[in-house]
Amino acid sequence: MQSIIFGIITGSILAIATVGLSMIRQTEGFINIAHGQFLTLGAFVGFFFVSEVELNIFVAGFLATIIVGAVGVAVSLIVFRPIASSGPLAQLFTSIGLAYLLFGLIRVGFGASVEFFPTSFGTRFEVGSVNVTMGEILIVAVAGLSVAALALFLTRTRLGTWIRATASNPSLAEVRGVPVSRVSAAVWFVASGLAGLAGVMVGLIGNVNSEMGWQQILIILAAAVLGGLGSIYGVLAAGLLLGLAMDLSALVVPTAYRTVVAFGVLILVLVLRPEGLFSVAGRKEAG
Amino acid sequence: MTGVLFFFVGVLTLAGIYAIFAQVLNLEAGWAGMWDLGLVGLVAVGGYTYIILTQTQNDEVVFAPGLPMWVGIIGAAVAGGFAALVIGVPSLRVRGEFFLITTLAFAEVIHQLTINLSSVTRGTVGFNQVARPFESFVQGRGYRLLLLALVWVVAGLVYLVMRRLVNAPYGRLLRGFRDNDPVALSLGKHTNRHRIFTFVFAGVVYGATAPLYLWFLRTVTPSVFSAEVTFVAWTALVIGGIASKSGPILGAGILLLITETVSLAQGSGDFAVVLSSARFIVLGLVLILVMRYRSAGLISEQRSLGGASQRMAETAS
Repeated sequence: MQSIIFGIITGSILAIATVGLSMIRQTEGFINIAHGQFLTLGAFVGFFFVSEVELNIFVAGFLATIIVGAVGVAVSLIVFRPIASSGPLAQLFTSIGLAYLLFGLIRVGFGASVEFFPTSFGTRFEVGSVNVTMGEILIVAVAGLSVAALALFLTRTRLGTWIRATASNPSLAEVRGVPVSRVSAAVWFVASGLAGLAGVMVGLIGNVNSEMGWQQILIILAAAVLGGLGSIYGVLAAGLLLGLAMDLSALVVPTAYRTVVAFGVLILVLVLRPEGLFSVAGRKEAG
Repeated sequence: MTGVLFFFVGVLTLAGIYAIFAQVLNLEAGWAGMWDLGLVGLVAVGGYTYIILTQTQNDEVVFAPGLPMWVGIIGAAVAGGFAALVIGVPSLRVRGEFFLITTLAFAEVIHQLTINLSSVTRGTVGFNQVARPFESFVQGRGYRLLLLALVWVVAGLVYLVMRRLVNAPYGRLLRGFRDNDPVALSLGKHTNRHRIFTFVFAGVVYGATAPLYLWFLRTVTPSVFSAEVTFVAWTALVIGGIASKSGPILGAGILLLITETVSLAQGSGDFAVVLSSARFIVLGLVLILVMRYRSAGLISEQRSLGGASQRMAETAS
């Protein structure tokens, strides 16, 4: 039971981290490897506000989300906009370059040491046979609220409709008068902001270190492929499922093999169902 | 002064090793169109096979036959090829991004296994003082020059093989189905079988050349097979010019000279972190700038392979 609780926590963080990668993949057409570094940046920015400025963790998390979102918009304009017509290979490798650049800059700015959030999770209490803390419940709640807010944003607002239109058919959307640059900026803001928020949460349940972006991006990619790279709800479900699989596997194999399990699941899915678990429309030919 | 000189001998040796990796990557990605983001996984399989077969010093390891070096190299080549076959058969059914993610995942699984299977790999402790060939003939610093020569001879051999391959019908076939898979299929070519064969061949070369990397580093730990190796090889390839013949060698030389010279600067305390981070910043900036201003690389495919691709481009337009 305890593993299921941990699985839900890991899974909901993974879900909000992956949904951003998937949004960028759909509207911009490439896999953003630098997405993992946005998590690291979010974690360090959040940590800075909590430990140096001594802000409340919720305020710090909110600020980290906004700041990382703004950084995402900035890099999309400076780095990705000029090469938009060079094809997915150039964009992918630019994102790898950006990942290294951000990784180096984060280490210069925040140091290479491992930090812990000084935030208390509150007292542990028992529900039936399981132990949970208030902090853990709040993490899942915040992740859930973010997903609900994202779903409302995508379905109920005009900008959200534009984003979904661009995702399903970019050229048609453009012809129909969807303001492409505003959609792009919105997607980058939401995707990077969610990555920043996920980074703060990863930092809260574990620690904050400069390598975390590289570790997370691999699991995020696995979740994205599992969800079929396309549908946003599929990716959310895949994130949760992968989180559960990773933590439940701890019952059978040593915890050191968590990542191996995640990738074992991924390879299995690629072999059995290359279009992803939740793909409704067929797989779009990559590249 | 000689210290600086030998530093550059080391940089050039490493550049030679990356020139080999980048050339094999060029065969996979440049000519056959398979974006392999997990080449370090194949290098690690080869490297660990070699060291486990040949090492004699550690008795804590469950399997240590202490075989001669040449057996180790053959074993590394076979293991590299076999690993490529195992991941190639399922993942090459799906192309592009899916192959890319599977290979990335494979490299990470190998990385985790080398850390956790400590009864075979000695975990994060790894192996030290790797024995090197011809060590009894040349002592001390002179050996570094020998290794430099050895690495570049191998890099030259790989170049000759690759040049032969790309001009042969086989190379044209690879480039053909990279550009237009359905046409190649309709002409009766088994594109998928050729892809798997190419990937296995790449695995064999990665495996067989992995010992060079170990001889240079002298240690084998999971951290020397990090994803950084893959990304450095890729950066070298795209800087030099993807799908050109000499581009990967030129790219490896330039990239390693830049990044290693940056890390030559020494510092203490907080400043050391800044300096060690500077390599990543430079690597990232170089990659972003090359993609932006010269996305075909320094030597383009057209310039390198001339006639054929030129004519293809003309008939297409």
